[in-house]
Amino acid sequence: MFVLNEQQVSFIIADIRRNGIEMEELQLNLLDHICCIIENEMPPDQNFEEYYQSIIPRFFKKELREIQEETELLLTFKNYYAMKKVMFVSGTISAILFATGSFFKVMHWPGAAICLVLAVAIMCLIFLPLVFLLKAKEVKVKREKITLSVATFFGIAFSLGILFKVMHWPGANILGLGALAILIFLFLPIYFFGGIRNPETKTNTTITSILILGAGALLFMIVNLRPSHQVDYLRYVAVEHLNQSYTVATAQNNIRYDQLVGDSSKSQMDFTTLKNSCNELCNKIEAEKKQVIDFINAGRDEKLSNEQIFYEYSNNYDVPNNLLFDNMGIPTPQLLAIKQDITNFKKLLTEKHNKTSLSILDTSDSNIYGNPEQGKTTWEKAKFFHAPYELVLTNFTQLQLDIRIIEASCL
Amino acid sequence: MYSSELIKGTLKTIILKLLSENGKMYGYEITQKVKELTDGKIQLTEGALYPTLHALEADGILTTNAVNVGNRIRKYYTVTKSGKKMASEKVTEFQDFMNTMVFLLDLKLKKG
Repeated sequence: MFVLNEQQVSFIIADIRRNGIEMEELQLNLLDHICCIIENEMPPDQNFEEYYQSIIPRFFKKELREIQEETELLLTFKNYYAMKKVMFVSGTISAILFATGSFFKVMHWPGAAICLVLAVAIMCLIFLPLVFLLKAKEVKVKREKITLSVATFFGIAFSLGILFKVMHWPGANILGLGALAILIFLFLPIYFFGGIRNPETKTNTTITSILILGAGALLFMIVNLRPSHQVDYLRYVAVEHLNQSYTVATAQNNIRYDQLVGDSSKSQMDFTTLKNSCNELCNKIEAEKKQVIDFINAGRDEKLSNEQIFYEYSNNYDVPNNLLFDNMGIPTPQLLAIKQDITNFKKLLTEKHNKTSLSILDTSDSNIYGNPEQGKTTWEKAKFFHAPYELVLTNFTQLQLDIRIIEASCL
Repeated sequence: MYSSELIKGTLKTIILKLLSENGKMYGYEITQKVKELTDGKIQLTEGALYPTLHALEADGILTTNAVNVGNRIRKYYTVTKSGKKMASEKVTEFQDFMNTMVFLLDLKLKKG
């Protein structure tokens, strides 16, 4: 048997390397394989180099590097097809959930929240990372890889921001603004200066950059869109005005009580009872209003004024909702106690003060959205459930004022 | 010689079966053994064999052992425990596949 010498082995390994085989393990395998072929199969009368050149084409179709490429493909893209499949499936599920969730949300149907949360979770945690991984393998230029990773990061942060905003979770604005900052200050410069250098992509890059900047600005506006200061101020004044009316009504009723002290034609006992139950009820309602303010101010070094709280929380659903209802939407005992007290109060008015028309203190169940087809809801849910702070405040103060008005009519 | 398309789908099965029966083998030996067993009807190409061997090694289905042979290094491949399991699974799967193909293509199996 022919045995290759050191020089011939060096020649073969050098040729393998020169032809683009970089993986050391693969070099060793190919070297041994080629050596085996030559040692076992070369006819005795043939020249080494000629024989080598004649057998090497059977290793590839076009060039030897194919073996290295095929190996890399199998090693790195082991799960390529599975990943691709998961990407398509998760993307489709996420898109369907998005469409369903947003439609349900607009229609105020149950199940909207779970659809949207799942849609964003699937998109942020499965779909976008997979798109990034698969795309990153396709692009060879480092700059494009960076652009792609920044874009993925923006997509994840922005989707989460929108979700937080829709769900009224804290931190929505920070996420939204953070995402926009990534888009404008990180993604755009990398994308723009990367693409503009190449004459072929110059025009498209410029157009796309302008579109990104414009879309970014629009998104920024939507994320931060607030009613004008004028509207905010007018709403605050209206709430304050209602509060003042209640204070004035209370003061006037107290003056009337003082005048009644010497009136022997009236039963003093009945008026003391009326005064006490009115005050007790109004104080209970006041306590509910105060607990929202206390909750917001808890842990703050510098306490916010009622006005500041109004500006910041007038559209907030969570704080009043969490204080007045539990996770299952069941009202707190305090809120139910107020409802019970109103019922007792109305009984007192009918029995002792001959009041029959008490419609402004109606606490019976009502039609949902005023529509008989939607079914009934309880008084406490109709007035306070999922209501923003401004409406909760208004409804409580209105109730106090109504009590004082009825009280006045008895005096 | 069968077409490379046919061989591609069964390459892993062939490698795993050979290795689990013959213990350690190196690349050239595998090609020769297949050629010998099939009377030259199946000739594994190097361009398909080595990428597959490397991928199976990365998956932990094969392990390698480098041995000095004269003036070069030879890598011997052996199947791991999970590789043995995979080999029998692959063979069973292929057996099932063949039965299905016989039925599907309405083949008459030659006797003897």
